[in-house]
Amino acid sequence: MLLYYQAITTIAGDLDQPWKPMTPAIGSRPLSSVLARGLGFLLLWIVLIGAKPVDLAVGLAAAAAASWASELLWPAHGEIAPLGLLRFVLRFLPQSVVAGADVARRAFAPRPALQPGLVACRTALPAGTARRAMCAVMSLQPGKLPVAVDPDDMLQIHCLDRSEPIREQTAADEAAFCGMLRDGGRRG
Amino acid sequence: MAATEAFTLVFVGAGAVLFLAGTLGLLRFPDTLSRLHALSKADNLGLGLVVVGLLPQCESVTGALKLVCVWLLAQLSAATASQLIAGAVYRRKPGP
Repeated sequence: MLLYYQAITTIAGDLDQPWKPMTPAIGSRPLSSVLARGLGFLLLWIVLIGAKPVDLAVGLAAAAAASWASELLWPAHGEIAPLGLLRFVLRFLPQSVVAGADVARRAFAPRPALQPGLVACRTALPAGTARRAMCAVMSLQPGKLPVAVDPDDMLQIHCLDRSEPIREQTAADEAAFCGMLRDGGRRG
Repeated sequence: MAATEAFTLVFVGAGAVLFLAGTLGLLRFPDTLSRLHALSKADNLGLGLVVVGLLPQCESVTGALKLVCVWLLAQLSAATASQLIAGAVYRRKPGP
């Protein structure tokens, strides 16, 4: 809750940066893939709200709207490989435990053990939804918080302890993220 | 005490400790970006532990799935919110 409050107050005073649309979807997908996606959204609705007929009518409309929005927003080359996704999740879960424990250790220390600072790391991912998604995922991994990407493809990563091998960790995170994308993240 | 209740107690208790750590980090860490680390990472693990702890208490499969969905959606929004705050802070104060 505190995080969302901080997000709203910080962003409310910072709208000078124009909003950039995400990578546009090129061409339309086959109907079967849109239907499968809609079914997935409907299942999510049933899990969250329940399967009473009255609710289901709203759920159908919501699933249709969600499919339409995801069709517009999801990049055209963003297919996800199921095996890669599984590998990614198996790496992500223990890493988030490490991340939380690491922050907790520093927060409970008599004097917070911190050497905060920015580290610049090169990224091979082109600008676009995939890179933004990777930055968001990376912010849940231990010790790192991507804050911006410079025009020369340098990620500015804020870390709690600059003495850690941030560049190596970032490269490993990026490799794990790209392993999840069917095209290896070459087209953003 | 049944084993499931002990399990719930341990995991929910650990989750509460993680939430405490996140809040301590928010109060004790020196700058906005470091505080973001504390909120996004510690709270997410805390919520994850609470969810895992509550799973054996669920009466139905959909109830359990709902808890997991809550955790996933909270992770998604925490990651996005911390990205937005970090970007805003970075643009306001160029350079470290």
